[in-house]
Amino acid sequence: MVVTLGQIKDIYGVSMYDVVIVGSGASGGAVAYTLTKAGYKVALLEKGKLLSRDEFSKDELAYCRRDIVTPNLFDEYHTIEEKVNGKWVATPTYESGWSFWNGNIVGGSSNLMSGMFHRLHPDDFRLRSKYGKIDGANIVDWPISYEELEPYYTKVEEIVGVSGDFRPHRYEPKRSTPNFPQKPTEENSVTKLIEKSCKELGISALVTPRAILSSGKNGRNGCTYSNFCGSYGCSSGAKGSSREALIRPALATGNLTLLPHKYVKKLYSTKDRVTSAVIVDTLTLKEEQIEGYIFVISAQAHESVRLLFNSANKYYPNGLANSSGELGKNLIFSGGGAGEGELHKDSLKDIEFKELIKTGLFVNRSILDWYFIDDWWRGKFKGGLVEIMFQHQNIISRSLQNTYSDGKLVWGKELGERIVDNMTNQKSIRFEIFNDWLPNDNCFVSLDPNHKDKYGMPVGKLRIQAHPQDLKVGNYIAKKCKKILKQMGAKNIYFDISSTPPQNLVAGGCRFGDDPKKSVLNRDCQSHDIANLFVADASFMPTGGSVAYTWTIYANAFRVADKIVKILKYKNN
Amino acid sequence: MLKRRSFLIFTSILGLSSYLNAGKKSKFDMEFKKVKLTIASVQEHMFPKGGLLPYAKDIKATQFLYETINHKSYDRDIKQFIIDGANEFICREGSGFVSMTESEKEKALRSYEESKRGEMWLNWIMTLTMEAMFSDPIYGSNIKEIGWSAIDSYGGYPRANKRYIWG
Repeated sequence: MVVTLGQIKDIYGVSMYDVVIVGSGASGGAVAYTLTKAGYKVALLEKGKLLSRDEFSKDELAYCRRDIVTPNLFDEYHTIEEKVNGKWVATPTYESGWSFWNGNIVGGSSNLMSGMFHRLHPDDFRLRSKYGKIDGANIVDWPISYEELEPYYTKVEEIVGVSGDFRPHRYEPKRSTPNFPQKPTEENSVTKLIEKSCKELGISALVTPRAILSSGKNGRNGCTYSNFCGSYGCSSGAKGSSREALIRPALATGNLTLLPHKYVKKLYSTKDRVTSAVIVDTLTLKEEQIEGYIFVISAQAHESVRLLFNSANKYYPNGLANSSGELGKNLIFSGGGAGEGELHKDSLKDIEFKELIKTGLFVNRSILDWYFIDDWWRGKFKGGLVEIMFQHQNIISRSLQNTYSDGKLVWGKELGERIVDNMTNQKSIRFEIFNDWLPNDNCFVSLDPNHKDKYGMPVGKLRIQAHPQDLKVGNYIAKKCKKILKQMGAKNIYFDISSTPPQNLVAGGCRFGDDPKKSVLNRDCQSHDIANLFVADASFMPTGGSVAYTWTIYANAFRVADKIVKILKYKNN
Repeated sequence: MLKRRSFLIFTSILGLSSYLNAGKKSKFDMEFKKVKLTIASVQEHMFPKGGLLPYAKDIKATQFLYETINHKSYDRDIKQFIIDGANEFICREGSGFVSMTESEKEKALRSYEESKRGEMWLNWIMTLTMEAMFSDPIYGSNIKEIGWSAIDSYGGYPRANKRYIWG
């Protein structure tokens, strides 16, 4: 059911809900799912459009090369503050083209994820206790433990749908079930080569759990192996996006009012309660208010922070829920980087080239061996996770990699020969490293005093600086990965570990913790200041672990939703 | 990060930028008409007949370029830069580029590439032409998947049924 605010007023008399959720991505979807299943009336606000499965085509131009599912950067943007020649310089993203939007459609960026899912390790919850202080890094332990989140990781496996094949490993967190609910998605023969090469090097290759159904479930089809998964929406329903796995069944309860095209400008509050959200219809530009008993912010870390800053009032002049002064601080990304090598037709070993270039199948291999490092020379330190995959199969972007030689553009017949050779006689194998982006004083969100979006609201300014330790860890692991590719017979191997953040892997800014003076949220992701305000997205994370965040975001949002259900039950009783 | 907008707008050495008028369609059409043949000629030199990739003219690469940069999703600064760069190139070479021999064209383009701005413009022309060749056939240039066939690499399913998802 998608209705307008006017219709809601016709139906209910007033646009008042048990819960109003801002943002329909992974966390917003998990909260909406839980609350509507429990019988509560929920409004789910989403700035973007609702796309149907049929609209998720594999159109590289639209999905990967233009701002179609994200705002036009001249209308809505951020400013990114980086250190240039010793001075902090803020550049609007409409100048740099470096968009920090991630899928502004119903279901958010979960529509576009690759779905490589890993749980955090128990020690990720107690990094400070485990490894002590690191100079220049604001590391703290989480107020909750892995054991408290474990049931929700399991819940995600069932409800969102995670396929995989559990292989015991010293750094795999304990599970409460023996294996994943679905077997892995079908795999390319390159997995044999990866496993053989890793074994020869004494490295354990694990099967990557994926939020992709290998067989149909609950009205969703199993994967159809379209060859274009990450960065694209899923037309079969197999990918565990918030839209497919959570919003669709939430709508079926009749308790969810999904409101796409709704931009939330600010929240109104008294000292004790958020009373309403001011929303703008992005199509008509009409402004309205929506009221709820509880408000849940899940707009993605940096945007949730921005909304709270933009909601400052006389009670909270420095931003809503910001009596601690911690709002916006300790923004984190995923540290690490990536490397690639080429598997050439004429030198491929152990597998057939025709098998290697078979399209659509997954690689599904990851390495946890360096999640914690105890090096004879460098000592003990927190490491990271490695994912092995093919280079993204996008045709235009792969072709464009052949346009330079020795610093000069290549064109004419030579260009054709290079592209055809590259696309038909080799396949690039890639590793991606995920390690902690250590929280630090020079990575935070604030409001830019000089820039406003097209709705007249100040834009978020992101100061970004990585901690040197992040690069050290990334480079350490990359050298190990290079050996794997070499063992596989890959040529022209390179890697790039950089302090440039992946803008789709963002967390922090609304830290949770038990001390109201040092954190924005309590252990239930509820504002320390305002009891009916929750923040459910990744902004709660004080440290990010060394895996992609999505599984943890889903799991924590289910946990937060259970806390909200308890409050609503108490209220109604 | 490179301040793209500043670079594109304010570094035009000939002062040809009509940035303020970039949003006006009729103005753009007039501007494009003046440079269309030159752009087409550059595309055809970069993607010639007889190569392993389709000939730019056969895939209507210039029409794709026009429609693409004129679409609302396209960066307005780059759109203007395409026009400005072409005008600059025409000023450098005179209007005779289209009738030059292939070796003369090669020399002229390599000379333009020597400047940062020239290299950037040529890169955009090449990028747009390769987008024409390898994008979904619905955009009108990868006719009968001729571009994908040339490199034996095909897009996934479902294919697009509207340009830019919703037209």
